[in-house]
Amino acid sequence: MIKAYFGVDIGSISTKGVIVNENNEIIANEYLWTEGDPIGAVKRVLEGLQKQIEGKNVQVVAVGTTGSARKLIGVVLNAQIVKNEITAHAIGTMSRVPDVRTILEIGGQDSKIILLNSGIVTDYAMNTICAAGTGSFLMSQAKRLGLAIEELGELALKAQSPTRIAARCTVFAESDLVHKAQIGHKKEDIVAGICTAVVNNYLNNVGKGKRIQAPIVFQGGVSKNVGVVKAFEKILGHDVYVDEYGHLMGCLGAAILAKNSGKEQVFDFAIQDVAFITKGRECEKCSNNCEIIYVYRNDEVLDVWGNRCERGLAEA
Amino acid sequence: MEQYKISFPHIGKNHIPVKKVMETLVGEYGEVILAPPITKRTIELGAKHSPEFVCVPFKYTMGNFIEALEAGANVLFQIGGDCRLGFYSEVQEEILREDLGFNFTFHMLKITGGNAKGVYDCFKDMNPKLTMPKAAAALALCVRTIYAMDGVERYIRENIGFELEDGALEAIEKEFLKEIEKADSVLQIGGIYKRTMKKLEAVPINKPADAIKIGVVGELYVLMEPFSNYFIEKELAKFGVQVTRFITASYLIFSPQHNVKKILSQAEGYCEYEIGADGTDSVGKSVVFAKEGYDGILHLKPFGCTPEINSIPIVQRVSEDYEIPVLYFSFDSQTSETGVKTRLEAFYDMIQMKKGGKLV
Amino acid sequence: MQKIKIGIPKALLYFKYRVMWLSFFDALGCDVVVSPDTNKAILDMGVNSSIDESCTSAKIYSGHVEWLIKYGKCDYIFVPRVVSYPDGDITCTKFHGLYDICRATFPNVKWLHYNIDYAEKHTTWQAYKKLGTGLGAKPDVVSEAYHNAIKALHNYEADLQRKQEEVLKKDGLKVLIVAHPYNIYDKVIGEPIVKTLQELGVNVLYADVPDTDAMCARSEALSTSVYWRYNKELIGAVDMYKYDVDGIIFLATFPCGPDSLAIELLVRKIKDIPRTTLIADSNFGEAGIQTRIESFIDILEAKKKGAMSGNGAI
Repeated sequence: MIKAYFGVDIGSISTKGVIVNENNEIIANEYLWTEGDPIGAVKRVLEGLQKQIEGKNVQVVAVGTTGSARKLIGVVLNAQIVKNEITAHAIGTMSRVPDVRTILEIGGQDSKIILLNSGIVTDYAMNTICAAGTGSFLMSQAKRLGLAIEELGELALKAQSPTRIAARCTVFAESDLVHKAQIGHKKEDIVAGICTAVVNNYLNNVGKGKRIQAPIVFQGGVSKNVGVVKAFEKILGHDVYVDEYGHLMGCLGAAILAKNSGKEQVFDFAIQDVAFITKGRECEKCSNNCEIIYVYRNDEVLDVWGNRCERGLAEA
Repeated sequence: MEQYKISFPHIGKNHIPVKKVMETLVGEYGEVILAPPITKRTIELGAKHSPEFVCVPFKYTMGNFIEALEAGANVLFQIGGDCRLGFYSEVQEEILREDLGFNFTFHMLKITGGNAKGVYDCFKDMNPKLTMPKAAAALALCVRTIYAMDGVERYIRENIGFELEDGALEAIEKEFLKEIEKADSVLQIGGIYKRTMKKLEAVPINKPADAIKIGVVGELYVLMEPFSNYFIEKELAKFGVQVTRFITASYLIFSPQHNVKKILSQAEGYCEYEIGADGTDSVGKSVVFAKEGYDGILHLKPFGCTPEINSIPIVQRVSEDYEIPVLYFSFDSQTSETGVKTRLEAFYDMIQMKKGGKLV
Repeated sequence: MQKIKIGIPKALLYFKYRVMWLSFFDALGCDVVVSPDTNKAILDMGVNSSIDESCTSAKIYSGHVEWLIKYGKCDYIFVPRVVSYPDGDITCTKFHGLYDICRATFPNVKWLHYNIDYAEKHTTWQAYKKLGTGLGAKPDVVSEAYHNAIKALHNYEADLQRKQEEVLKKDGLKVLIVAHPYNIYDKVIGEPIVKTLQELGVNVLYADVPDTDAMCARSEALSTSVYWRYNKELIGAVDMYKYDVDGIIFLATFPCGPDSLAIELLVRKIKDIPRTTLIADSNFGEAGIQTRIESFIDILEAKKKGAMSGNGAI
């Protein structure tokens, strides 16, 4: 029997899961859309993972969760560890690139930067203000140019002189984009300009004041776009490493943290068949209207949260 | 004759001493109508009726005023300071009168620099029976109350992360606040304070010698109004952290430590001059925390707060020189609470890793 | 002997006091390097060396400082600190912190500064005296240089005021621009606006031109609680010109604290005059500004025509 550890990263857009062995090697992985249903997504992830380890004599003994729905899923899976995505990404990445100094991450709706030194996170930042410089920005610009998001990267590489795009915020960027297209800039130059704008935006926002040192790892959905990768390399003057498993670093970190927790409890994949329900209810005891979340397993309340004061109704 | 119904914006729990002093000052000619406690509705209302780019304390206090006027207030007080705060009142008054059609009297009090005379004159107009000795006694009571409250809060802030029984310290504080609201002499408050501190100290805590210590600096409103910072100090303490903050009402208004010379000497090597409002203090206190071996600093400010924006590049320098991590938060009415929590957790993890601790 | 070379960033107070500074440093026998007009490279340097939330005008300043460090070949960079004026009015706290911000942002640079803070009894004369003697000049030379510099500034301002009086007498549309000098005279922020207006044949008046002391006093007609000197100057001018112009353009940079409230108040108090507000950030001028100004002018023209032909309302 091989001992194994399950990590899951539940984001607003996608859900990712891995099972690792004692040596932190990935023995199964799954990646799918959350589709607004984190519990459903996790069940589908479990289904996929279970198929991959079938007959391999693997037993999952600890679970870790991360991502924006980490708390909910932590309750559902009775996880050994629930960890924020910054720490989880750092831990996951370090298991692949032990001497990593900088992690750049651009996802669908947010972006972050993590700086490390000798295996310790020394600084980090997350974007909190606007969507410019994230995947959704790229997506909307691609749409505006009538391109599929997948085409952007390759097209950007063909550019001779990237167009300068004003991109402090999406609104500015869009009007500028239209303007540049109308005065006759080539499509590939505009696309390369967008990629550069994403990078500049990122560096000006989350990367502000951070000393970016190599080795540099780039992750998140946008790391699949070679145009953006090249733009990073050009602006930073260093190679930028994109891991084929880049999208799995959060859940990998969660799995490793679960292993390191030292707590073990055999995990039962049959949890896929248990009905979990969440109910959000606005408390009406005061005009705070706290949104209280109830998590039910079958009909029993597993957990309640979201309450800011004792006025709130804690009863189910 | 119509009675004066006085109200003022909230900031933390300071409505307790302020209500007390104002009640005495206005005497039989009026009463104090507390603005309802800050809720989501307060900030939504405030944001809706404020210019888009003003900072978030403007929006919160605007919400307080609207809710106080709805509750029947007809005399409003706003405090003035050194930054945009001082100009708040004129714009807020204009919006409340012209846009929302409320009828009220508006007073702006400058709290720093000892404006006791201005306060006295203002209330003397409302309450002809007010005398100097009466006012002085009320003020003394207010000062003592603020000191007692800040003392209790400080103890809780530094220890709540380590209490063995969740909620024990806060239960004592709740009791304390109830008692102090009723107290009407300086002597009484002194007694309540002593008793409360004894009770607090009797609560069993398990604080390791190398407990993680984090100092909090920044703009006074978001520091002192926990609703505006998503109860960040409490969230942080929950990880088992000692939280320290110098900026309190007693420090800002009465403390002899709160003077330019002292602050500039703390910020020596970083600020040759004052950099505006409390920005200099943010630098000075960051240096103090760094020198005292704190593990990290939280820097909190409203989005767009110029004095604190001034302080950031300088605090960054302090952070580099002393190798002390600083986490910066900028609050507005749209700040994502989840984002705040995630970054706070990661900050704790980072410090924990640095100290060689285990991530749990 | 080698002359001392002083770098001056072409931003913020440069647009208010350059005549005085240049005259003073010249009289002391110093060379002066002024950074070039704001351009894309300076803007980029400014954006990169500043805190994201810092106002665009301060970011531009930072860019000019960096330009001087990189290309200015100067012995010192001059960063003045101006806090309060004789009547108790203060400046935005950005001006209080600028010197220390520059020191923290760009270590290992030799700075030259003065500190004007009347509330703390640091007068303009004392500031210049210290600056001048610090540069090794004799007291009588400093004194003469100072008085001549003040005279030069006064003459220059009087000349601008005379020219503005001439513009006021002209026929045709007149628009008042209400903006800090460092915004409206900046190559990237203000110049495109002025250019667009001039191309449309509009007569442009500037709120910063009239006598500043007089305008500060006059500002009380519109606001009694404003204490920012530079906003009071503009508010007074709005009161003075409000019936002489066809429209008002407020220009501020994002996210300027004083302007956000001062403009809000002015827009509320000046209800009967057409007005528009432009908020500039570091990408300003690249799109849409021209269109917005043109449509504003169209409205003013329609209104004026309507008024002349007797159809008042539009």
